[in-house]
Amino acid sequence: MMKTLLKVDEINTYIDQFHILQNVSFEVKTGEVTVLLGRNGAGKTTTLRTIMGLNSASSGSVVYKDEDITKQNTHHIARKGIGYVPEDQGIFADLTVGENMRVAMQKEDDATKERMDWVLNMFPDLKKFWNKAGGQLSGGQKQMLSIARAYINENDLLLIDEPSKGLAPIIVEKVMESIQEMKEKTTIVLVEQNFYMASSIGDSFYILDDGMTVHSGKMNELKDDEVLKKKYLGIA
Amino acid sequence: MRQLGKVQISTWVYLLFGCLLAVVPFVYDNLSMLFLIIQIFIFGIFAMSYDLLLGYTGIVSFGHAMFFGVGAYGVSIVLERNEPTLFFLILGILVALGAAAIISFIAGVLTLRLKSHFYAMLTLALAGLFLVAAEKMRSLTGGSDGLIFTIPDFFKDRTNMYLLALISLVVIFFSLRRLTNSPLGRVLVAIRENEQRTMSLGYKIFPYKVIISVISGVVAAFGGVLYALSIRFIDTTVFAVDVTLDALLMTIIGGVGTLIGPIIGAGLIEYAHHFLSELSDVHWIFERWIILFGIVYILVVIFFPMGIAGSIKNMYMKRKHKKEAKVQQKDNQIAS
Amino acid sequence: MDLIFSLTLNGLATGMLFFLLAAGLTLIFGLMDVLNFAHGGLFAWGAFTGVWIYGLSGNFFVGILGAIVAGLVLGAITEYLIIKPVYGNHIQQILITLGFMLVLTEMLKVVYGPNQRAAQPPEYLDGSFTIGDVTIIKYRLFIILMGIIIFALTSYVLKKTKIGLIVRAGVMNKEMVQALGINIRLIFLAVFMVGSAMAALGGFLFAPYSGVIYAEIGLDYGIFAFIVVVIGGMGSLSGSLMAALLVGLAQAYMQYYVPSLALAVNMLLMAAVLLFRPQGLFSVKGVSTK
Repeated sequence: MMKTLLKVDEINTYIDQFHILQNVSFEVKTGEVTVLLGRNGAGKTTTLRTIMGLNSASSGSVVYKDEDITKQNTHHIARKGIGYVPEDQGIFADLTVGENMRVAMQKEDDATKERMDWVLNMFPDLKKFWNKAGGQLSGGQKQMLSIARAYINENDLLLIDEPSKGLAPIIVEKVMESIQEMKEKTTIVLVEQNFYMASSIGDSFYILDDGMTVHSGKMNELKDDEVLKKKYLGIA
Repeated sequence: MRQLGKVQISTWVYLLFGCLLAVVPFVYDNLSMLFLIIQIFIFGIFAMSYDLLLGYTGIVSFGHAMFFGVGAYGVSIVLERNEPTLFFLILGILVALGAAAIISFIAGVLTLRLKSHFYAMLTLALAGLFLVAAEKMRSLTGGSDGLIFTIPDFFKDRTNMYLLALISLVVIFFSLRRLTNSPLGRVLVAIRENEQRTMSLGYKIFPYKVIISVISGVVAAFGGVLYALSIRFIDTTVFAVDVTLDALLMTIIGGVGTLIGPIIGAGLIEYAHHFLSELSDVHWIFERWIILFGIVYILVVIFFPMGIAGSIKNMYMKRKHKKEAKVQQKDNQIAS
Repeated sequence: MDLIFSLTLNGLATGMLFFLLAAGLTLIFGLMDVLNFAHGGLFAWGAFTGVWIYGLSGNFFVGILGAIVAGLVLGAITEYLIIKPVYGNHIQQILITLGFMLVLTEMLKVVYGPNQRAAQPPEYLDGSFTIGDVTIIKYRLFIILMGIIIFALTSYVLKKTKIGLIVRAGVMNKEMVQALGINIRLIFLAVFMVGSAMAALGGFLFAPYSGVIYAEIGLDYGIFAFIVVVIGGMGSLSGSLMAALLVGLAQAYMQYYVPSLALAVNMLLMAAVLLFRPQGLFSVKGVSTK
């Protein structure tokens, strides 16, 4: 039995007066890639933001490594080893690629250098455009930079929000490759609309609909479940 | 029906207070005290006009003194250049209010589209320009020497002046209360609470803001008119930032968005000003009375954003809430 | 020739003082989205505290140090007590910082007395020297130099150091900075303290320049800081420098030729910028630190 790294238990989140998350619960096992699926507006992004403490849950709990982090500040949560790649990538536009990495780095030890080598090896574009302003990068490069920023620290969990969104297929392949390699070292929660990508790297899945967790299981089961796919994901 | 009944009770209470105040000059004729109360009435009017802006549309103006000054100068200039007859007094008032309406309309159209920070700064700058203009246009305003003028004999009598100010205060209070309880007032409150949402409900916000800023400007100018009449002298200090700050303190401490609050605030601050300044012979620290109010003001902003009147209202509501929870919910929705 | 040179030097010196006052304001706005209407109060406190310590110690640079320390301490108090409770609420921010401005000004009178104070530059910065047919007043030159040093130092910190990069990142995307494990509250506090210290330093340098200081200089010069920040573009440091020099020069020339309209011209300039180019004259993207 694999260990539970993150447990989200019945969280409710409001944005203004809108009840976005309604009793969302799921578990993330160490070493797995857990995929959150669901239509636009189902609450996937809000779920990740609530875990990070960027939105606050009005009830329920988020437990990470057996510690309740629900009410903690975002920076504390990040320091506990959770990396976040937001939907809009969150690149600091006026800062260069190198400066973006420098802001992200929490330490400058050998392990960080090792990860930096891996990052530059995986995404040679970042090395090439090291001194270019983040705002001038292409969409794919921004995605790579955002992933690199989250990976550079000693994180045990990465929350990655729709990395394939708006990218050319060839870039999607590259991003997938990187996630597949990162998977060896860290646990990942992935929000993804691209079912091909989700199904080829995911281990288990949860489906959100209207702010509720409506289904869960192993990825390989979902692949063959045409009814479920059609009902919640609009895939024939 | 219930709502109506409640309004009537409070209306009677306010009217009773008004009548009690009207008797004061006949039983108590300490001139300096009467003068102080007149000032309270006048600044009550001015602060209410500020509350109309801040409390009902959420606009912070740093230039409200502009309208106060325009009103004061308008009536002063007309009276200084003509015979002090009732005709010229009324003409002067009309000139003052007309000028304030035009200026507040133009200023409103220019500034009200800006975000709160910028609006505050721009109004500060505009009021600054009026101050400079008043200092420079010596032939009209007398520059920093100011203007001395006479008013019709009838109002030279302190009691009559007192009654004029009181009646003005009461009439303006009820008119503004009527205005803010009207459908227009509800839209204004909605703007303050959530501009985006009000917009998405299909209300064009901008015209409402302009209307309210014109009404507020005219009422402020009327405050300025009474101020000038009550002291029969005027100089450029009516345009000073301090005048706006006074209105701000009175409104915040008294209670934003309540109309009665600013009057209470005006009473407190004018009285404290008078009382604590007298104490400065005892100890110089009392000359710095504004510190006390500054600190109270800051605490109010942080802890009691509803001010005195708003907090009392809240407490009253809460107590009532326990008794008749269901009915109350409806009232609350309307009141907020 | 001498006159123009003298007016220009005067304008640049005034501009540098405006810059010191506006720099903190613009950084605080850019990073925290807070417009601090009490900022001018820190200028006045810097002036009085610096002059007091200068008088006690007899050393001008100890006075500078005193003003900076006063700015740091008051900045920390302001952020913690006044700004922190009202983050994210613009109206409350405007109201509360304005109230605090009143308190700061009055407190100044309580602590240092209600009267104005005279201030003189130290001997080695007093007087003037001539090159060819132009006279240069030493102290003005000194202010310009100080302004250049502070600008260079701040730019260096913002561009090259990690904390500077974090501040700039925070201006662009506060949430992401937090999600990277950085406590943005501490960054806010640090920026607030540094910005206040710059204002306080500006106040102290102003004292011997004008020769006399009074409690209301905070309010009077605070207005200039707002004018500068608006013209330069909120959140832009170099924009503030350019705007400060522009306003300083305008002020110096107007004061000589049409003194009565000096303030009015700058007010009009600000009104025009607010109405027609609210992002500021020197800012390309609205918020930028370049």
